[in-house]
Amino acid sequence: MHETDVHDLSDDADYAASVQQGLARMNRSDSSKQSSSGEQEGAEIVFLKDNVAIHPTQYASERISGRLKLIKQGGSLFMTWIPYKGQSSSARLTEKDKSLYTIRAVPFSDVGSIRRHTPTLGWQYVIVVLSSGLAFPPLYFYNGGVREFLATIKQHAYLVRSAEDANVFLVNDFQDPLQRTLSSLELPRAVSVTNSPSSAGAPSESPSSWTDGKTFDTNSALAQQNASQRQKHNDPARDLSIQVLEKFSLVTRFARETTSQLFREAQGDGFILNDRRKHDEKTHDYPRIADSNDVQKLPEDVPVPADPLEFDKLSLVWGKPRQPPLGTEEWSAFLDSEGRVTDSEAVRKRIFYGGVEQDLRKEVWRFLLGYHSYDSTYAEREYLVSVKKSEYEMIKNQWKSISKEQAKRFTKFRERKGLIEKDVVRTDRSISFYDEDDSPNIKCLRDILLTYSFYNFDLGYCQGMSDLLSPILYVMGDESESFWCFVALMERLGPNFNRDQNGMHSQLFALSKLVELLDSPLHNYFKQKDCLNYFFCFRWVLIQFKRQGV
Amino acid sequence: MASTGHTNLNAKLVLLGDMGAGKSSLVIRFVKGQFLEFQESTIGAAFFSSTLAVNNATVKFEIWDTAGQERYHSLAPMYYRGAAAAIIVYDITSVDSFARAKKWVQELQKQGNPNMIMALAGNKADLEDKRNVPAEEARLYAEENGLFFMETSAKTAVNVNDIFYELAKRLPTAQPSQSPAGMVLVDRPAEGFRAGCCT
Repeated sequence: MHETDVHDLSDDADYAASVQQGLARMNRSDSSKQSSSGEQEGAEIVFLKDNVAIHPTQYASERISGRLKLIKQGGSLFMTWIPYKGQSSSARLTEKDKSLYTIRAVPFSDVGSIRRHTPTLGWQYVIVVLSSGLAFPPLYFYNGGVREFLATIKQHAYLVRSAEDANVFLVNDFQDPLQRTLSSLELPRAVSVTNSPSSAGAPSESPSSWTDGKTFDTNSALAQQNASQRQKHNDPARDLSIQVLEKFSLVTRFARETTSQLFREAQGDGFILNDRRKHDEKTHDYPRIADSNDVQKLPEDVPVPADPLEFDKLSLVWGKPRQPPLGTEEWSAFLDSEGRVTDSEAVRKRIFYGGVEQDLRKEVWRFLLGYHSYDSTYAEREYLVSVKKSEYEMIKNQWKSISKEQAKRFTKFRERKGLIEKDVVRTDRSISFYDEDDSPNIKCLRDILLTYSFYNFDLGYCQGMSDLLSPILYVMGDESESFWCFVALMERLGPNFNRDQNGMHSQLFALSKLVELLDSPLHNYFKQKDCLNYFFCFRWVLIQFKRQGV
Repeated sequence: MASTGHTNLNAKLVLLGDMGAGKSSLVIRFVKGQFLEFQESTIGAAFFSSTLAVNNATVKFEIWDTAGQERYHSLAPMYYRGAAAAIIVYDITSVDSFARAKKWVQELQKQGNPNMIMALAGNKADLEDKRNVPAEEARLYAEENGLFFMETSAKTAVNVNDIFYELAKRLPTAQPSQSPAGMVLVDRPAEGFRAGCCT
């Protein structure tokens, strides 16, 4: 795999074709953009770099390589990235995937910033973020050239290094992102790019609730936001729309205004008045956000698509009683006669608002985590469980069969085993399920994690994984089933554990952008305190709030 | 020891070292006086602060406790950047952790603040029967590299306060007070210095 990608592809016929195709596309999009002026000047390529790749999954081997170009035309600078044709490093990547990621002639007037990552290990990459908040997936420079890329942009467009972060380059140093971008807000893609587009439905139960059904009532607004973001991942077209952002801001504002309301009440303002004010805000919630950011012109015509799956507005109001957890009887009503879940959205929505009864979790989590597909039948699942059981045993045997003598000469194995053994003995030991010193459950955690590190040898073991596995084992009780649920979860969360931290970076970056839009005073505070990298949220995101709310 | 009219210092302190060497346990023993046999792993980093009185000054340590796994190495510079002091921790029962400690020392010598005061802590000193790193070897290494060295035990509290106190004492008193880098998550009132030192 490596060799084919590393050598220069400019002689490749398919590749040449793709370049033509790319240029043609670019010209098309240009001419449509510039139709009024009718300019058809020749495009000048001012920068060209081969072997610039994106990683649609956490596996570097499944990268899509392509050619990155900066093109100057009619006084404007454009960026294109066209994947090489017919150069699939993996059967899992289709041509459709490639065209999904293709970057066709993005004018730099639309670019907000470029974030440069130069990890000491691994490849340099940049993340290009549009002023709208949309971020392209990280572009990995396999042949180097990030510095040259930035230098070229600087020659042709306004590029300035951010005062807060030496690795961020602002392209159009916009003063008020809200003003410029409200109408085209598609911010959450910055989150979704790190996840495989085919990722399974996310569990919307709070991870902090796994030990019993009662603790979840302490849910935080943030956890809700987080869960609902994940819930939306499946459909990029309906990724957090402006509508959802609107509702998040409602939460933020409620928290803020509760305080000021207390003052108002103390000053003798009637309760009824406040109550009415609250209602007014609910219905005219959008202009209020705009107010708080000094936007003069209200984009009243922002398209707000009707979405039947959206939360109803009232449900995000503080103090609404949480629904009781989903029980067995109600669950079976979601299944057809052969055991298929007929309306998975409805199930997830129901669970989002109420959670799942402890006894039912074992069954439902398999769907939520993505191990079982919603349209599978009882019979198919039963079969799958038995097949997967022997598959698990097989993978487990790969390390079980390593003899002491062999292990002596297998440093990587010893290291991994050591890491895992250090962590499992200190994972959730305060819970009775894991509290005995020779608990078979601790051994089970170790076996699953070690087996996973063989199943996904490239990713290996990383701190935080034991935190994610522990509640799964507690709920599933079964080693093989827990393993496959964990595998499914890691399909989604794997990029967070990457060595170059790209999964975490893009999520923390998206989080910073959300806060910037929804709570600018908080954003400014973080800016002042020099913590816009949001690393203080690292643990929350990495282990999905698992250590909170205990 | 603590007199009035003394100077106040804020000093950023970072803990580095192999996974499971006991970085968090050392800090928690120092800051809270507690010890957990199974201290959970640190994800990302953790922040603590603690104030102690030394000579004529009050030193407020802003302590960054880092994650030990090699995979998180790339985050470390963010935490040691601008640090006035560092404790590099290894586990006396693990030769590998001592090797890793040396790597941290090298990295700090190359990339850290040149005036940084560094301490080498051989932790888990209570596990004498499982010792794999001779104290003499570590002491020699520390001397050669301008670190001060102590064997500590977060479990029994041996030398834990002492190592922090020793660091505080060695801070240049003329060092200007610097504003904390990052957000203060845990702010503990000055407690003075609990255990005896240098006696």
